Amino acid sequence: MALEGNVNDAAKTIVLGLATGFGAIGPGIGVGIIFGKTIEAVGRQPELRGQLQGMMWLGFALTEAIVFYALGMAFVAFAIT
Amino acid sequence: MIVPFLESSTNFDPVAEFTDFVNHPYVELPLGLDINKGVLYLWISAAVAILVPLLIIRRGLKAKPSRSQTFIEMVYDTAYTQIAKAGLPDEGMRIWFPYVATCFVFIWAMNVVGFIPLPFSGESVEIAGVDFPKLQIYAASANLSVALTLTLVTFVATHVEGIRYNGVVKYFKSWVPSGTPKPILPLLIVVEVLSQFVRLVSLSFRLFFNMLAGHLVIAVFLGVGALMAASLGNAAFAVHIIGWPMGIALYLLEATLIAALQAYIFAALSALYIGGAIHPDH
Repeated sequence: MALEGNVNDAAKTIVLGLATGFGAIGPGIGVGIIFGKTIEAVGRQPELRGQLQGMMWLGFALTEAIVFYALGMAFVAFAIT
Repeated sequence: MIVPFLESSTNFDPVAEFTDFVNHPYVELPLGLDINKGVLYLWISAAVAILVPLLIIRRGLKAKPSRSQTFIEMVYDTAYTQIAKAGLPDEGMRIWFPYVATCFVFIWAMNVVGFIPLPFSGESVEIAGVDFPKLQIYAASANLSVALTLTLVTFVATHVEGIRYNGVVKYFKSWVPSGTPKPILPLLIVVEVLSQFVRLVSLSFRLFFNMLAGHLVIAVFLGVGALMAASLGNAAFAVHIIGWPMGIALYLLEATLIAALQAYIFAALSALYIGGAIHPDH
């Protein structure tokens, strides 16, 4: 079946969406684990709340950055080809 | 970025907002030192970061603090205990606490200024015969040059301090854990050297893409109705009803939480990297 219209642009747009979406799956799970585990830890030892929170935000940021690698590469693919 | 307010538009290109201004500087200078919108936002952010704390502190600090004084004390306390103390060893505090605290306040100011609608879009709208400039949100930190420059300062500082405190040989030896078996040593050296440069990418990209994606998501939610009006006609109103509350909710989240969080993360990681170079653990 022959495709009509601007197939190149359509493919780029689909790739942008797919790459960002798939790239968000892993970090999404990771961020969930980080917050969940922190809540667990605070529940067990509430006096460590301050220390744990600092580590939580750091871990959150490190994990979350992975989405932006995917987004960045998706933009590169969108812009170049 | 400029949000196409309830008008049908097929050439709504959010990404162009982050690239076009480079080609239209206010003042052209040699060596690419043009003064464009990004530079203007940097200056505004620097002015906010300097003047707001200065004005509050100059009004006089009291034993029974006012609300603004409480705020400044909270920022200082966060920068001192949460950011600097957590990463830096005691002998590095004197030099590098001011640096990481400045990073924190300056990046926070950049991010927050980036969420205030300001009239620097270069476009205007006519209301009752008078030209008003269109309001726009744009963050200086949503620009890889800014994020990468700040990261390079941290990167250079890390290695200079590592060499200054430990000596060249001991510092570079500390990158690889001691007692590593000989056969896997070459592999480990490659990985460790690579990880030093990955820090450069991750630290700058985190700040840059967080702010860029934040602004893009807001613009897409506010503008998606206008974008779809071309194909949907009047039914695009339904898209506006969903899009605008989402956009406003995301705007509030970004302007309050993410703006502060990214500044905190950048400063905390800078402190951690510099502290790790001064006192290599492994």
